[in-house]
Amino acid sequence: MSLSTAPVVAATLRPGGWGFRIALLLALAGVAVLAGAVSTLLVLGIGVWGNNIPYVWGFDLIAYAWWIGIANAASLFAAVLVLRRHGLRTAVNRFAEAVALAAVLAAALYPILHLGRPWLFGWTIPYPATTRLWPQFGSPLVWDFWGIMAHVVVTSLFWFIGLIPDLATLRDRAATEGRWAMARAYGLFALGWRGSVVHWHRHQAAYRLVAALVLPLLLSAQTVVALEFATTLVPAWHQARLPVHVVVTGLPSGIGVVLAMAAVLRQALSLERFVDAEDMDLLARLLACAALASGAAYAHELVTGLYLEDPETRAALAARAFGTGAPAYWGAVLLAVLLPQLLWRQGLRSRAWVVIPVGLLAAAGVWLDRWSLVVGGLLRERLPAHAVAYAPSPAEWALLGGSAALFAAALLLFGRYIPVVAIFEIRHEETLTEAAEEER
Amino acid sequence: MSQPPPQGAIAEFTEVDGLIAAVRAARAAGWSRLDAHAPHPVPEAAEALGARAAPVAWIAVAAGIFGAATAYGTEWYLSVHDYPLNVGGRPMDAWPVFLPAAYIVGVLWAAAAALLGMLRLNRLPRLHHPVFQARGFHRASQDRYFLHLSAEDPLFEPEAALEFLRGLAPLRVSVVRAA
Repeated sequence: MSLSTAPVVAATLRPGGWGFRIALLLALAGVAVLAGAVSTLLVLGIGVWGNNIPYVWGFDLIAYAWWIGIANAASLFAAVLVLRRHGLRTAVNRFAEAVALAAVLAAALYPILHLGRPWLFGWTIPYPATTRLWPQFGSPLVWDFWGIMAHVVVTSLFWFIGLIPDLATLRDRAATEGRWAMARAYGLFALGWRGSVVHWHRHQAAYRLVAALVLPLLLSAQTVVALEFATTLVPAWHQARLPVHVVVTGLPSGIGVVLAMAAVLRQALSLERFVDAEDMDLLARLLACAALASGAAYAHELVTGLYLEDPETRAALAARAFGTGAPAYWGAVLLAVLLPQLLWRQGLRSRAWVVIPVGLLAAAGVWLDRWSLVVGGLLRERLPAHAVAYAPSPAEWALLGGSAALFAAALLLFGRYIPVVAIFEIRHEETLTEAAEEER
Repeated sequence: MSQPPPQGAIAEFTEVDGLIAAVRAARAAGWSRLDAHAPHPVPEAAEALGARAAPVAWIAVAAGIFGAATAYGTEWYLSVHDYPLNVGGRPMDAWPVFLPAAYIVGVLWAAAAALLGMLRLNRLPRLHHPVFQARGFHRASQDRYFLHLSAEDPLFEPEAALEFLRGLAPLRVSVVRAA
């Protein structure tokens, strides 16, 4: 084993430390809360949630759109790095993919749970049922079924294809140490990889191809969610600009989470050499850029919404931005647009205690934006019988917290059993660097 | 007990350049059933071995088109023939709204086909391969490079193959035998 990648393999094969165990225990406790929240929902029905007419989509759709945004930005980031063969990919690609996969798993929970009768979820699949009915293919809800399924599958494939050679490394490494059960487990998923250069050649083609396929899928995944809003007649939602707005404002969440994860991992697993200061610097500036783009989307929303749109839309936006919805709207602008601008300062973006909270708060800001859209969009009621304002119930908070715990547990387990940075990419990079040095 | 027949001969290298030079020399010497093993992609060696990645892309593209066509065809058949539903006089074959699902399913097929096609072309997964019996081969996934001459090659003669491999300045050479 060359010294260079040893820490990465060691981080995967050594027994977990106390910090890891405590974190995993906490996350699993959260997953138990999630299981409780889901069982309550299944047994008692959707009435345990706080949503009601007109607030038909409460926490559930907020969390769904939010998790999808995190997954999207993380996989967009990973796919672009692979396609550009960017040096940063060796460091952060694998766990950007893992973040995307864990977020997509958390997101996939919600559309099923919000069906009201989640056990009839299979009815969204076009199969010749005894009901003799078919899904309505013109509905964005049906597109969403395909979109989520494809997102889960393609994100997993992207992650798994990149992982195959590293699983073979772990297999051989575990076998050398005489840990046969572990070697068999890794070997099963390494699919008999033997590092043939011919295989590598096709493997790289497949990896880049799937990275390229992730890109169009991301646009569709997030836009389909937005189209579900846009096809309704609610003034704040019924806008052609909504898909673009949702895609762009979603970016700071995924990049913020990847940045915070990178800062945590490099300290917790002593990976400073692989995720170096320059990588962190690039990531932090990327978050600041994404926040700027997000700011442009808000500016566009306010300018077109308040000056160019019809009176109904103007009033709806005014209620969101300046009425009772103002805290969520401006909270989103503050956390997801303005706060990340701090990262333009070199002195601030090099400190873990700055980037971790800024990254996570940017994600929280995007959550507020989704709240502002889903709940704030319905503030101007057009029915005379005005309903009480939407307030989430404990069951909804438990579901949100539980899905965050599921996300954390998935990432902790990935970090423990799977190399968090791509071993083969680091080796490849090092060979290229050596070759370049020799030529000089 | 007699030894099992040799499966091939293998040479181990510490540097990637040694492997690339060795692959080129072996091809020049007329070896056809050979393979190189490395812990990371070595495009030069793959090129010398005549590997082509394009078939992976063709498989994925074909599967993507097939998947999208199947999805669109299903939507069209179900909405126009099997269960026509007149909603406010809108056309049965509402192609614009059929496109998102067809497009997503096409991407899904293409991505799955990229993985499966790559595995099929690589003859993976497989439970075992004779080359794993080679001494020190576990380092092929870590930090060593190997050139394997298969016994199926018409030029293969154990002693001659070892002699040829020694001429390539490897770290060591050995005969690979089935367990």
